[in-house]
Amino acid sequence: MAPTSNSSVVSAAGVSKSWGTHRVFSNLTAEVPHGVTGLLGSNGSGKTTLLGMLLGLHHPDAGELRILGEDPAHAGPQLRQLIGYSPEHHDLPNDVAAQDLVRHIAQIHGLARREATTRASDSLWLVGLGEERARPIGTMSTGQRQRVKLAQAIAHGPSIVLLDEPTDGLDPVQRDDMLELIRRISADFGIDVVLSSHLLEEVERIADNVVIIADGTVRASGPISELRSGRGGVIVQLTDKSSDVAAALRASGLVVDEQRDRLVVGTVEPANELVDAVRDAVADVQAPLRRLYPVEQSLEELFLTEVYTS
Amino acid sequence: MTAPTPMPSSDAEIFDRGYRPYDGPRNGVGTGMFSVFVASVQRALGLRRKFRFKVVPIATIFIAYVPALVFMGVAVLLPSEFADEVVADYAGYFGLLSIAVILFTAFVVPEVLSTDRSSGLFGMYMASPLNRVHYLAAKFGSLVLLMFLVTLFPVLFLLVGYVVNDIGPDGFVNTMEVFGKIAVSGLLMSVYFALLGMAASTMTTRKGFASAGIVMLLIGSGVFASVLVESGDAPAWVALLGLAGVPFDVISRIFDEQVDQIEGVGTLASVGAWAGVCAVCAAIVAFGYKRLEVTK
Repeated sequence: MAPTSNSSVVSAAGVSKSWGTHRVFSNLTAEVPHGVTGLLGSNGSGKTTLLGMLLGLHHPDAGELRILGEDPAHAGPQLRQLIGYSPEHHDLPNDVAAQDLVRHIAQIHGLARREATTRASDSLWLVGLGEERARPIGTMSTGQRQRVKLAQAIAHGPSIVLLDEPTDGLDPVQRDDMLELIRRISADFGIDVVLSSHLLEEVERIADNVVIIADGTVRASGPISELRSGRGGVIVQLTDKSSDVAAALRASGLVVDEQRDRLVVGTVEPANELVDAVRDAVADVQAPLRRLYPVEQSLEELFLTEVYTS
Repeated sequence: MTAPTPMPSSDAEIFDRGYRPYDGPRNGVGTGMFSVFVASVQRALGLRRKFRFKVVPIATIFIAYVPALVFMGVAVLLPSEFADEVVADYAGYFGLLSIAVILFTAFVVPEVLSTDRSSGLFGMYMASPLNRVHYLAAKFGSLVLLMFLVTLFPVLFLLVGYVVNDIGPDGFVNTMEVFGKIAVSGLLMSVYFALLGMAASTMTTRKGFASAGIVMLLIGSGVFASVLVESGDAPAWVALLGLAGVPFDVISRIFDEQVDQIEGVGTLASVGAWAGVCAVCAAIVAFGYKRLEVTK
């Protein structure tokens, strides 16, 4: 089965899921494009459950979920051969050599033994464990175990890898290395990556796209660059008549913060209407406009806005 | 200064080794199942693991084959008319294997099944093209093969030894008949203990608990059944509650060794007990794994 040509590698439409009486998702809708996508949410927000549903381990109660264009709950083994998965837990068979585990996982994804052996070795070299590949996993540090998990997720040459908290338990240096590796896997080898995390800073560093989950729904999703720009309002820089423009904007019902050399105009939805309102106000008072640009929010500001003020 | 000697040309090439995307052929689920099968056999026998993991399987297999070697030695040293009286028959040898089989079931089956759940490997299998049926089929197949090491193969070894020493069955047809009986007996015994061990291992992720449970179940049920039978009030079929004895009773009927059969119990009841225990164990495994939630 060839990877989907569709622009979305993962799509969810109206997905609901409950564990007993606890509702995890209600009407979850999102599109995940190619590249690295961060699945953001606080602990217990359902990130692991969503990854489990994408693997076909759990079935949605309602709605439609697709990965690589297929329904994971009903697709055959051909779909799962194209998915790599790195679980959150660090429990791996302690007395098995890293090379043996990675080769075994590649084989169960359909690779012949010889190919699996070669690719297991290549994967372990890629993640920096080439010299350590014959060591039993039980003798490895948490950072090395995370690398083994990444190696087994990519050894069979998947189209997409799902990484559940891939930097959990790593020190800052190990975390930087792991993030760099994940970035490389997508950029150099064209593998789409969906990684779950509750660490905003790391997602901001490597992800192209983000899906923010809170209270069982998607609060925001899309390319990070688009989500960050415009949501914090716009900044207007004028060479003269700042007070007049501010008054005109306030008269239009907008919130304006007059700063030393600029006006910060508060958010309205949709964002392009804000730009139009500023343009009209500037034109009305015939103010000399020097610069008009959107305020860029950090991912943290975006997350806090979407999760706690929506 | 002398000019450097030119290096001789060769066909050596430098290959660009390293990770790259894969677009080659992918085999079906069968390859994955076979890999689980092989990994399970390796794990059970301690292959590619430290020596301490090999001790129990080697010791158990040793226990299973040593009596056969002794009987063959007796057959070589004694005249055949005396040897016939001393050495064990095939059904009797299956009985001699009971200790090895119980130990093997208790220590090997949980190693193959419980550790996958405690180590998180089961979740990784379920995230692969394999589903629960594929997984359990591969595990069952590997366990039956492993059981052959202490059920079928020692008795076949004995048969070969007896034939070589002229105390085996006469002629090709008789030899094949005995071979067939041994094969069926070995299969029945292997399936029985593999399923029983799987059922116990389904209930816990702790290998030690599963091992203790298997030993207590097999030995405890036998003691319980014996006490009831010897009290004189219980019907004969109560002897079949001794779980370890059920397959040996079936085997004694296959070889028509009436001395070893449970008195007062018909062949149908004996085979029914074997099938019933197998069915209950299979149901426990199927139900246990069906409701097993992959949470990590």
